[in-house]
Amino acid sequence: MAPFYKFDYFSEGTGFIIALLLGVSFGFWLERAGFGSSKKLALQFYFRDMTVLKVMFTSIVVAMVGLAFFTLFGWIDMTAVYINPTYIWAQVIGGLILGVGFVVGGYCPGTSVVGAVTGRIDAYFFLGGALFGMFIFGEMFPWVEDLFLSGNMGAIRLPELFNLSTGVVVFLVILLAIGMFYGGEWLENKFREEEA
Amino acid sequence: MNETTITSGRMNLGVDPVLHAWGWEIPLYLFLGGLTAGILFFSAIFYLRGRENVFKAGIKIAPMWVPPLLAIGLGALMLDLSHKLYFWKLYTTIRWESPMSWGAWTLGVIFPLSTAWAATWMKDVFPRWDWKFLIIEKTVDLLIQYRRWMAWSLIFLSAILGMYTGILLSAFNARPFWNTSILGPLFLVSGLSTGAAFVMLFSKNELERKRYSQVDMVLIGIEIFLIIHMFMGFLASTSVGIQAADMFLGGPYTAVFWTFVVWLGLAFPLLIEIMELKGINVPAKLPAILVLIGGLILRFIVVDAGQSSRWLYKFME
Amino acid sequence: MKEKKYWPPYLSGIGLGITLLLAFVLMGRGLGASGAMMRFEVWFLGLFASSHVAANPYFAKYALNPLSNWLVYEIIGVMVGGFLSGALAGRLKFTIGKGPRISNKGRLILAFTGGTIMGFAARLARGCTSGLALTGGATMAVGGWAFMFAVFAGGYAMAWFVRKQWI
Repeated sequence: MAPFYKFDYFSEGTGFIIALLLGVSFGFWLERAGFGSSKKLALQFYFRDMTVLKVMFTSIVVAMVGLAFFTLFGWIDMTAVYINPTYIWAQVIGGLILGVGFVVGGYCPGTSVVGAVTGRIDAYFFLGGALFGMFIFGEMFPWVEDLFLSGNMGAIRLPELFNLSTGVVVFLVILLAIGMFYGGEWLENKFREEEA
Repeated sequence: MNETTITSGRMNLGVDPVLHAWGWEIPLYLFLGGLTAGILFFSAIFYLRGRENVFKAGIKIAPMWVPPLLAIGLGALMLDLSHKLYFWKLYTTIRWESPMSWGAWTLGVIFPLSTAWAATWMKDVFPRWDWKFLIIEKTVDLLIQYRRWMAWSLIFLSAILGMYTGILLSAFNARPFWNTSILGPLFLVSGLSTGAAFVMLFSKNELERKRYSQVDMVLIGIEIFLIIHMFMGFLASTSVGIQAADMFLGGPYTAVFWTFVVWLGLAFPLLIEIMELKGINVPAKLPAILVLIGGLILRFIVVDAGQSSRWLYKFME
Repeated sequence: MKEKKYWPPYLSGIGLGITLLLAFVLMGRGLGASGAMMRFEVWFLGLFASSHVAANPYFAKYALNPLSNWLVYEIIGVMVGGFLSGALAGRLKFTIGKGPRISNKGRLILAFTGGTIMGFAARLARGCTSGLALTGGATMAVGGWAFMFAVFAGGYAMAWFVRKQWI
């Protein structure tokens, strides 16, 4: 039964090799989508190129629907899957700051690695900056610790928060994604016309 | 003076249960030994095939790196010895059954020979080179006439040197992971491959780089085959062999070995070289650098893993 | 060789989604990026100032064998995969990604600044777009969704001020 690692199908060392292979696939698809280019990523925030939104929501929907069906078939034990713990204030404020960093720097950590291996010089500067930022965070940790721990809600998921069944939430997310896709295409067309 | 009386290897904490004798010196020495063997082997072979005007980096320039690289390797070896002043005792005997004796004698011959070989190319590479002393000038001129002889002996000696770096380990029958006859060929092929990669780093000639890259691809293929074969051999042997292999198939060395040696040191550079051959634009030096790093890590892992593989008990976690 | 076009976003999204799903099925965890960078950082700091790392309550969490970690291997894979894809599409070359109205130097300064902001924020939020928004989004973690909308909000709010960089 999945997740295989949690049920001791293989050792941690083998897991690292799987990590490598999954990483190859991850990096491959990121680059295919064009996420090695900071300009393409940043144009998201000017409605000129909604690739980030489309790719992100497509992949979330695919993985989420997959997980939902696998749970339904009894193939995967979701209690053994890592759910990101929610620290709502740390994550909302962190997200806002990270969004600012995204549009200023042009990358996020994963895409900057892809940018760097395909030769984007700005990606190297971004990576240097990210390491510096993490260093600052570590040095400032005693001062930001309260914020870091604020809004602790544990490993809570949307169905529990809204008291809905998983299937309903999946359905709503799909609806949201379809709405986003339509909105994204519409915005792209509109802003492209304006440019022309 | 503190006296230690050791009546059995099992009482020596440096040997049993896990050997703690070798740090970074030996793997570095084995790597440099294999690398120089590879450089000399291809230099001599391509010279004999009359490519000296095309394969300039491989035949003429790369061998000039051999004496300093070998010197570093031997320096590392000396650092590792406890009784540094007695190394010459190896030269007081010739023992056919001892890889140490083979290695000592091969190195003793190949070091001056490679220096002479490199010297004969000095004037080709640096046209204004001046030997300063007439006697050296004359000696080198004399040596140039014997290049064919030197090339033939270099081929044989470098093959022995490359083999010896592996056999040195496989002669330790007390360490199951080393005690496999595949280690000799594996280190030889890996050494040749790193030698070819070294030339690819320096070559400015498109034709030469392509040829070395092709050679390297074949060697990487053989290397992957030997590695698979080695593990099949271990798994088909007694339980100590299986335990030795388990260190790499789910045990403590699994991730490092398969990631850095097999994927990043062999498969990925092979893929890049194939892509380059197909006309896809890739940085030409990348596969060479990866192969060199992979070769170095291979020696570190094999030396380290061999020391913790053992008889009788399960390996140490 | 001419640069090939990027693949359509929905196709890339499906590929990415299947990769993410496989990570859940095989390992019981999602993908990530900033965690690996944190571990490189701690490893690097540990080379020069190991006592400082041990004394810092945040760095110390990562101090034991920082590189022997799932995410570190995953990010090495990302390098390989990104490189292969870029090579196959003829997109490997040294360039600076930017709009037409900013100098190279200006762009690089902003890239570093943005990186610094993001590095800080990613540690505060316990993840970045891959580790928290994507992974948390797929597992329907509340924090992941809140974070994702916050990222877009922050980006759109800031976009006007740095528009000269991109358009």
